Amino acid sequence: MIKVQSYAPEGFIALDNSALIYPPTEAKFNANTFRVSVDLEQEIVPQVLELALQDTLQRCSYAKVSLHKGFFWYYLSPNDKPPVIHPEGSYPSARFNFKDNNGYLFRVLYSNHRIALECFHSLTDGSGALVYLKMIVQQYCHLAGIADFSFSGALDFSSKPSKQEFSDPFQHLYDKNLPGSPSTGSTYHRVGKGSYDDRVKVISAMLDGQALRKRAKERGATITEYLSSLLIWTLQEFQKQEVPVQKKRKPIRLSIPMNLRKIFHYDTMRNFTLFAVVGIEPALGEYTFDEILKKVRLELALSQDPKRNRSQIKRNVGGERHILMRFAPNIIKNPLFKLLSNSLGDDLYSAVISNLGYVQMPEELQDSLSRMDFYLCPGQLNKVALAVIGWKDKVVVNFTSFFNADTELERLFCTFLVEDGIPVEISTNRSNEV
Amino acid sequence: MAYCIKCGVKLENGAEECPLCHTKVNLPCDIHEQKEEPLFPVPMPQKGTGGFNKTSKGIVELILSLLIISEITVALTMWFSGNFSHGFIPLFSIMMAALILIMAFVAKHTYFVQASVHMGLAAVFLLGIDLYDRSATWSLIATGGLCLLWVLAVFPVSKTAHAHPIATAVKMGTVYLLYIVLINLVVKGNLTWFLPVALPTSAVLFCGVALFFVLYLTRKRTRIPLADLVFFCLIVLFFTFTALDLFLTHYWYGYWALRWSISLFSAAIILSILLSGVTVSRRLRRFFTSQNRHA
Repeated sequence: MIKVQSYAPEGFIALDNSALIYPPTEAKFNANTFRVSVDLEQEIVPQVLELALQDTLQRCSYAKVSLHKGFFWYYLSPNDKPPVIHPEGSYPSARFNFKDNNGYLFRVLYSNHRIALECFHSLTDGSGALVYLKMIVQQYCHLAGIADFSFSGALDFSSKPSKQEFSDPFQHLYDKNLPGSPSTGSTYHRVGKGSYDDRVKVISAMLDGQALRKRAKERGATITEYLSSLLIWTLQEFQKQEVPVQKKRKPIRLSIPMNLRKIFHYDTMRNFTLFAVVGIEPALGEYTFDEILKKVRLELALSQDPKRNRSQIKRNVGGERHILMRFAPNIIKNPLFKLLSNSLGDDLYSAVISNLGYVQMPEELQDSLSRMDFYLCPGQLNKVALAVIGWKDKVVVNFTSFFNADTELERLFCTFLVEDGIPVEISTNRSNEV
Repeated sequence: MAYCIKCGVKLENGAEECPLCHTKVNLPCDIHEQKEEPLFPVPMPQKGTGGFNKTSKGIVELILSLLIISEITVALTMWFSGNFSHGFIPLFSIMMAALILIMAFVAKHTYFVQASVHMGLAAVFLLGIDLYDRSATWSLIATGGLCLLWVLAVFPVSKTAHAHPIATAVKMGTVYLLYIVLINLVVKGNLTWFLPVALPTSAVLFCGVALFFVLYLTRKRTRIPLADLVFFCLIVLFFTFTALDLFLTHYWYGYWALRWSISLFSAAIILSILLSGVTVSRRLRRFFTSQNRHA
């Protein structure tokens, strides 16, 4: 058995607090994966990519782990098998087959011009995965002789991993004297039209970053606030058609992951995200886009209050530390997690929108980079998910959906943007069917 | 590069339709766009992957967990109370109950699949309990009954049965006869009453049913009046009981006579005359049906 870090116990690494829910709830329509990818102008050489991955894992040895089922909890354990790279498939964020992947919780894929990193959520969150991807791309470009540069935000290859990189900040921030934050009720879920299956259908909307920033700024909002408000407005339009009686309309709430690294100044490479839940109450009346934006702005600001975040952490970690949870065996906890995760998780919001933010490009990569993407996996209750990432002068909004033919949400969303003066360019894998 | 005339979005080079609203792209005749490299290089498979969703998986896992816990609890209880040698029946019953519950969620939710699976599991359960003392007695009759029920009530809804109706009818009759043979063998250990009583009685029943099909399904009007159907069923049943009485009396007492079925036989004769009359004479039929009021 190899040792991950000097401070890590051999053969047994506990999952971080927010990673606990992902292994037991992994199922069809619930892959719990996400993907970040970079498209380069140059052709990708798989052998070089393999070397770049090995170098990255040498630096971030805490990612060389595999998932195991213990008697009480799932746990990570060091994995000394060689990492595997895979050719690109037909859709992103599919379910993980750990065996095909030598047990690793991430999967590196390549196509002619693309390097993609798909992660199972128990390893890290979107920001963590972006750091891994930056390191792989940086090392790949170095080894392939494309350019020598260092990404801002990536870890230094020459330094040793710090203890904080694989720490679980949730446990540090847990304060048992705080009250746990209250939970919210169930929300509206769009039924959609037609059939669906677990193939992830993508509609990728590439927006003009300048125009989007300008339109958001005119309304006094950030890009996340603008796009979140637009998604709420879109869902409101659907609910108006589906539920004609106003007072019967359910709340529409979005789950927006917040990167806590910026709030609590931790440099962890594990999950360190909480979800801001923002939304409207359509039973009270119809909201205009600007009214929604105002509400979202206020609620997002409130959600980023560190005191409120610590109260949320208290609730989450408190649950993990509850005596019944600690001593109940996995064979009982697993099915209960699966059965309760809808009512305690997915049912509390109508959609997910995750914005990884703007990725600063080093000068040397400006000409080589042709595209960046971020994809989430949708769920069975909320069958469409939105992932946003910005690079150069572009913002890419990727809609991932389980619906086979229903693209109404995407259409309404993009049409609003076009009407608001933001150019939108669409690409998809829907037309690429056998 | 084209724009969708409905949504206003810019489309990929070479796109044939807008992926958002499915509006066809109509480029001027002299413009031919090179198709852009697709977003993902591999075409989308035709079907999704298999497997269970979160809720189904959760329910199955919960049943399995409870099965393991209850099996251990029962086994330990019986061990400590010194009755472990009799533990097979409760342990086997719990396992079968769990399996039946799991299959209710896992198997395809159609009448044919669910009924087949549950009848099969019930048969295994009954055989298992009976075979515990290494002798199969009553379970053979119960299992045979389940097989007969499957052939009579489940198999006819299958596609195979719809495709071959005559073969299906023959199969149903054969399984029915085999079941009677089985009962005779299990109860008496020999074919005692099967050949002199059950076989000829069944022959009468089969002949009646066959006559019904010949008379009604081969005629021009395919719609069978409800009254005819009821009358014919009664006639076939009454004649079958009459035959049973006749063959049973001969088997038991050695002479040919009707003991308790004379009234049934008379009723069958009267109904047969009536049914033949209304079938042959349109006037008589109109007298008994509502058609005379609409004439």
